[in-house]
Amino acid sequence: MGYVAVEAGEDVIQRAEELFEKQRVVGESDQISVEQVGEQFSRLTAQAMSEGGLYAPRLAAIAVKQAQGDTAEAAFLLRAYRSTLERWGTSVPVETAEVFTTRRVSPAYKDVPGGQVLGATKDYTQRLLDFELIDDDGTDPTGDWDVEAEDPPRLRNVMEVLREDGLVYDPERDPDRDDDASSGAGTEPFDATREPITFPAPRSAVLQELARGETGAVTALGYSELRGYGQVHPTLGEVRTGDLPVTIEHPYTGDEVEVTTAAVTETECVVPIYEKSDDPQFSFGYGLVFGRNERKTIGMSILDAAIQLDGEGAAQDAEFVLDVVDGIDSFGFIEHLKLPHYVTFQSILDRIRSIRERSAAAADETDPAPQEVGADD
Amino acid sequence: MTDKCGVAAVAEAESVDDLLDSVTDDGLTGYNYAYLDEHTKREVRRATLSAIALPGHQVPFASREMPLARGWGTGGIQTSLSLLGPDDTFKVIDQGSDESVNAANIRRLAARTANVETTTDATEASVIQTRHRIPEEVLDDDQILVLQVPITDPLRRVDGSDDANRRRHAHSNYSKMWVALYENVVEYGEIKLSSRYPVLVGDRYLMDPSPIPRWDVPKLDDADNLFLFAAGREARIYAVPPHTEVEPLAFEDRQFQVERFPEHACGNCGSEDTFLTEVETDDGGRVYACNDASFCEKRRADPSLSKAHHRNGDGHTWGPPTDPSVPYESDGDSGENRGPAGPNRGGDE
Repeated sequence: MGYVAVEAGEDVIQRAEELFEKQRVVGESDQISVEQVGEQFSRLTAQAMSEGGLYAPRLAAIAVKQAQGDTAEAAFLLRAYRSTLERWGTSVPVETAEVFTTRRVSPAYKDVPGGQVLGATKDYTQRLLDFELIDDDGTDPTGDWDVEAEDPPRLRNVMEVLREDGLVYDPERDPDRDDDASSGAGTEPFDATREPITFPAPRSAVLQELARGETGAVTALGYSELRGYGQVHPTLGEVRTGDLPVTIEHPYTGDEVEVTTAAVTETECVVPIYEKSDDPQFSFGYGLVFGRNERKTIGMSILDAAIQLDGEGAAQDAEFVLDVVDGIDSFGFIEHLKLPHYVTFQSILDRIRSIRERSAAAADETDPAPQEVGADD
Repeated sequence: MTDKCGVAAVAEAESVDDLLDSVTDDGLTGYNYAYLDEHTKREVRRATLSAIALPGHQVPFASREMPLARGWGTGGIQTSLSLLGPDDTFKVIDQGSDESVNAANIRRLAARTANVETTTDATEASVIQTRHRIPEEVLDDDQILVLQVPITDPLRRVDGSDDANRRRHAHSNYSKMWVALYENVVEYGEIKLSSRYPVLVGDRYLMDPSPIPRWDVPKLDDADNLFLFAAGREARIYAVPPHTEVEPLAFEDRQFQVERFPEHACGNCGSEDTFLTEVETDDGGRVYACNDASFCEKRRADPSLSKAHHRNGDGHTWGPPTDPSVPYESDGDSGENRGPAGPNRGGDE
């Protein structure tokens, strides 16, 4: 027998893990600390927290280090850990106007109440590879700035201006609509981590799943709308980043107390597609994600708007979008193809051979000419 | 109640850091018995009971993230862990093998967190988690087979939308599936579905039996044991309770047919009545071997061993499921030959 059954066990798993671990430590450089990951790769940890659905910067830094920088894997580590945690309570809903804003731009207006706050961004930087980083000495380029340090402002949301003018459709105040998909006012938001989603899904479930969606998937599906596979081409009311206060009710006094803040990015957009022809109002979309991730939150606002339209485009189908947008689901199932499939493949081989035998036999039957020719010879 | 260690660990902790320390312990001491918290187990058990009450119907459940990748048996392991107690014996098979890396990984998680005995012997296990196979040895009424499911709905083959398909299930409207099978016959002369062969359960729900080969499909019919099907990524659980009628879709003139191994026997044990897989050897040859590795080992010791050797009474066995003498195609008149009838079916004959 030339065939030795492929047998493996815990020993092999252990060794594979050790080989993987070796890849992280085998180089000449010092080990990167969890603090360094958290401080210097904040975009990575933000993405892991956002896709993992758990705001925990230090745990995210551990996850990113453990995953060797693979954000999907890091988000997965956070989710798996999160699912073992007891729930102690829920926070009090907050208006995002309460965000301590560090950056806020409004593409819709030249100027807005509170002004445009450019904040920290690379948007207008020429993308030239910076070779000076090879000998980075960690000098703070803003170290010699002569500005007064002040608390970041709390800014009124630009969309409120449009809402006050009655220009933005509000499904919760539409007497013609009472379906689950649009309502949500005053009700507990859906929690997809505790209840399975079936369709039509409430908007709170859609928003939750989009907020936890894989950044690349949210970007790509959102882009599909702009690229012509849908009609949503929004104008952004604003994109803002900042720290959102987290408030809970004190367990003894019942008073609301702010316990911490969470870094978030928020986008609101309007779409010039009107819900009703007799009372034209903008459709709108909303995006909010943990950490600094503007492309994901813009993509999310496009998808929210697209799903509310419920049209023919791929990204307007809530079931399609939510089925494919989750990185933990898609990466798990895509990579499961590496598992052995020889049982199913044997079954497939059986079918294709059977079909080929059948068509070969049929060809012999319907084409008796060669035999007759042979007989004449 | 089994959540003592989880609650106790929380109650006794002096600080969050203490709690975190206990979590990182090697023996998973910070985790609940059988890993899942009791709320999750209750959720899974409720879904399981609903599934048993409605054979073949897909019951949604709030699938949790597990420390295994989704698509790698997370539904199966949630179901197994919600069933297992300290007295259970657990077997895990992946594509017929106990020794596959993923099976070893799942077995290791259950052994570490639920303190169960593990076995490779299908007759010894009280709970068997499996990917894509039903063991060759006949299961008993005190055994549960948990099948890992990648794709929950057989109608997904004809429509990607579960929303639309749920409506079809509600109305028993399986016409689109029948048309697809008919188009197969028109195009290829036969039904080209390989594994994941659609079955009708209890004459009511069309069910995806998970990617078991057609060889295993007749074992679902009128079995003594409970079959649970669990999909973690798709968050669905469904069941075939004992002694439920399970019929693969086929036409009167196109019979259901299992995989054929003409003139082949297992290269290791010589069995001719087991599901074989072929292997290309280094020297360019091709050999066949039993896929059920644990039964193959028994057969090597005793080539005459029946698949029901462990059961009281005789003749009560399953498989090989279809009689090779029954032709795949018939003129449609031979009603008695319809379906997966065979001399060994259910041992009733």
